[in-house]
Amino acid sequence: MPEALSLLCRVSAHPESRCWALAWSPSGALLASCGGDRAVRVWGREGSGWACRAVLADGHQRTVRRVAWSPCGQFLASASFDGTTCVWRRHEHGFEVVATLEGHENEVKSVAWAPSGSLLATCSRDKSVWVWEVDEEEQEFECVSVLSAHSQDVKHVVWHPSQELLASASYDDTVRLYREDEDDWVCCATLEGHTSTVWAVAWERSGQRLVSCSDDRTLRVWQRSEGHGGGSEHSWQCVCTLSGYHGRSIYDVAWCHLDGRGGHGVRRRRRAVFEEVSPVSPGSPVTFGLAAHVPRAHAQDANGVAWHPREPGLLASCGDDGDIAFWQYQRPEGL
Amino acid sequence: MAARFSGVLQLTDLDDFIAPSQECIKPVKVDKKPGKAAAKIRIEADGSYFQVNQDGEAQKLEKAKITLNDCLACSGCITSAESVLVSQQSHGELCKVLALNKAAAAHEQKLVVVSVSPQSRASLAARCKLGLLETAQKLSTFLKGLGVHHVFDTTFSRNFSLLESQQEFVRRFQRQAEDKQALPMLASACPGWICYAEKTHGSFIIPHISTTKSPQQVMGSLVKGYFAEQQHLPPDRIYHVTVMPCYDKKLEASRPDFFNQEYQTRDVDCVITTGEVLKLLEQEGVSLSDVDPSPLDTMLGRAAEELSSHRGGGSGGFLEHIFIHAARELFGVHGASIHYRPLKNKDFQEVTLERDGQVLLHFALAYGFRNIQNLVQKLKRGKCPYHYVEVMACPSGCLNGGGQIKLEGESSKEELQQVERLYESLRAESPEENQAVRELYEHWLGGWGSERALQVLHTQYHAVERASSALSIKW
Amino acid sequence: MVASGPGAAPLENANPLIYRRSGERPVTAREEDDELPDAIDDREIFDLIRSINDPEHPLTLEELNVVEQMRVKVDDAQSTVSVEFTPTIPHCSMATLIGLSIKVKLLRSLPERFKLDVHITPGTHASEHAVNKQLADKERVAAALENSHLLEVVNQCLSARS
Repeated sequence: MPEALSLLCRVSAHPESRCWALAWSPSGALLASCGGDRAVRVWGREGSGWACRAVLADGHQRTVRRVAWSPCGQFLASASFDGTTCVWRRHEHGFEVVATLEGHENEVKSVAWAPSGSLLATCSRDKSVWVWEVDEEEQEFECVSVLSAHSQDVKHVVWHPSQELLASASYDDTVRLYREDEDDWVCCATLEGHTSTVWAVAWERSGQRLVSCSDDRTLRVWQRSEGHGGGSEHSWQCVCTLSGYHGRSIYDVAWCHLDGRGGHGVRRRRRAVFEEVSPVSPGSPVTFGLAAHVPRAHAQDANGVAWHPREPGLLASCGDDGDIAFWQYQRPEGL
Repeated sequence: MAARFSGVLQLTDLDDFIAPSQECIKPVKVDKKPGKAAAKIRIEADGSYFQVNQDGEAQKLEKAKITLNDCLACSGCITSAESVLVSQQSHGELCKVLALNKAAAAHEQKLVVVSVSPQSRASLAARCKLGLLETAQKLSTFLKGLGVHHVFDTTFSRNFSLLESQQEFVRRFQRQAEDKQALPMLASACPGWICYAEKTHGSFIIPHISTTKSPQQVMGSLVKGYFAEQQHLPPDRIYHVTVMPCYDKKLEASRPDFFNQEYQTRDVDCVITTGEVLKLLEQEGVSLSDVDPSPLDTMLGRAAEELSSHRGGGSGGFLEHIFIHAARELFGVHGASIHYRPLKNKDFQEVTLERDGQVLLHFALAYGFRNIQNLVQKLKRGKCPYHYVEVMACPSGCLNGGGQIKLEGESSKEELQQVERLYESLRAESPEENQAVRELYEHWLGGWGSERALQVLHTQYHAVERASSALSIKW
Repeated sequence: MVASGPGAAPLENANPLIYRRSGERPVTAREEDDELPDAIDDREIFDLIRSINDPEHPLTLEELNVVEQMRVKVDDAQSTVSVEFTPTIPHCSMATLIGLSIKVKLLRSLPERFKLDVHITPGTHASEHAVNKQLADKERVAAALENSHLLEVVNQCLSARS
């Protein structure tokens, strides 16, 4: 099975530090990474390897925990333990800070751009999730909502791939979903089931399913069910729990948005975890089988994982060793 | 435990995740008994602590008590202040005081005064399906049945808050050239907002906040000052309770600024919410509609025939009163019309006074945390165009306060609209025209704008220093 | 020593029971042989943490019996270390700080391959689960160590006593 995932190349991205997260630009031409060295780095292809194209070092005073590209690819947002979120604009020779979003009481843990590009979400240890409106001309960001649904540290926020529906994962062991209601935002669903911190969530391309990963060493797949629960609120059910594959906390999860095979639209999903990178394929709509597993993908904890948005099977992962590893996934026979 | 403070306070300094017993880092003095040291401590199933000494004897340990003032002076958590409040300011505490008072010897008995906010009255009226006047009259009967001596209306003290705010604004406007922090002037009536500003933005925001006391605290000064004199009582012989739409008002009443050192008494001794009044009614098995009405008390002793209110909405009407007053005083525009322009959302609106295309006055109302946040950020970047902002911590303002009654089986929006309709059904009075207010300014405060008026009707704010002890840092 | 001295806050547990320190670790013949690889054992881990200072008392964690050798487990082959510590009183607000100091000491001393678990001895603290969860959260720990005030206190706990 290990041959299903082969290492293409490895770069020391944040030497002497840890690399916390990765984000592919919408076209896939660039990969952004961030880490404990307070910097964001932007990587581009060079020959068969990857080279650093820019170091964004003067925006934050503390660890940069997550990065996110705007859908247009012109802006990059970075969330930091210094309590701020920086928005960088890409220009010919590099990147410059165009806005610093303040307001969170302490560490900002994650940032995400809505598919329309007009909204940004951030979350923090202060237990809140903020939705910001982007005024691209003025380069102004106004807070449109502060959501206090979680009772603890909020670890991750991520938008639905096509709708203005937001998901957040928390230290309070839950995942929550939010939508706009008149001129404010409301929490419209709570996904309960994990028995410890939920570190991250990822949407399937259709937005009908979500996967969450947790400190409880499991992954859970949640399915949206129409018509249940009454009214316009959707209800979400856990349709599958993947346990036994990881021995320690699972820090990140990514769902490949490229369809694998022809007509069936079989969805593939991989995960990166503690010293392991292991993709999973669905055997039937609600069961997943482990497709590949790399026991020691990183010398220390694996923190982030990201599928390339265009190239099937290209996967990047990063870890506490400060490295980024690039992998090629080959679907094993029979899956 | 669902926190009941306004969202603003829930978001401030809340980096606590440990259970309340762990949360508070306030050092407490514990009386140690001398003698044998070294003991083990055991936790019983009910959560009580027992100290077991080396001979195996177990002794129950006392819980350390933290006062609300400790909480307010601390830059740590705000959430544990809630359980402190429950023990110090609650309808239960009121009942206890009333029971003790009845049993006390005549010369030790206190005069109990309850001041009801108009927002609470509107919420109760909506819940009991009564008119506002009926509600006020019946509530008065009910409270007096419990042992309360006088029931007042904080609409009366709001006249003073409005008049003082008006004058303060004009003074600030006139010195804006020499004092960069004179404008914008930010409203001071909302204690949630004040607490947030002091804890989070400290010295940067404080100079902008109006020094005028809120209606609750003006009422405190009236009751423990003027009214006590009239009754020939020292202030500590009066027990003053307010009924408020909001939990944060309990924090306001506990501020050291409103504590009389000489008599060791607070201007407002106890704040209960509208919801707690409902609990009191339920506890006594009383339905307000069955209660007989009684005449309303006023501070100057004359019976009130009807209720009145102020223009400008359920949060007190500060923006409108100041706007009209400033238009007249500063630009000679009489009866300026007020047209609200909604901005990003219904809780952020602005009003302008224009002449020949030039903006003379630019006011806004900003309710709820998100709008406060944008306001503060604008101010920080020097991009705040306003002269005055009516800031309130709750979305939709005070009628939607966290202490209001939630109606059964109705959606919160309809519920709020109903309370708003009731609230606005009263005749609006201009504070300048209130005869009783004039008399008090003249005879008690020594005239308009006097030193004494400034001293009695204004307060100050204090930036809260961030925790300096590393031992108390929450991470 | 941070919170004691005249005028400072009273100690939470002013009269803790003090325990005798253990003797020096005996060096085995195998260890003396430089040719043979040494596996890290429980006693070595215990030696790393026993001299950590209590944040409140002028005593070590060993002297306060907060750490004991029997509550240290090492699996060198699996690269795991597990340490249980016992707060002197069940509502000790210093528990997270003590746990953090132990964790930091081990992070700084052990090879990177080791996975560390620092827990409260079951049944000895009122907020055991909460403290354990916080100590296990590497993101929270990383953020805490970027806080210079907190780091200073941790470093004081880890510094050799003068």
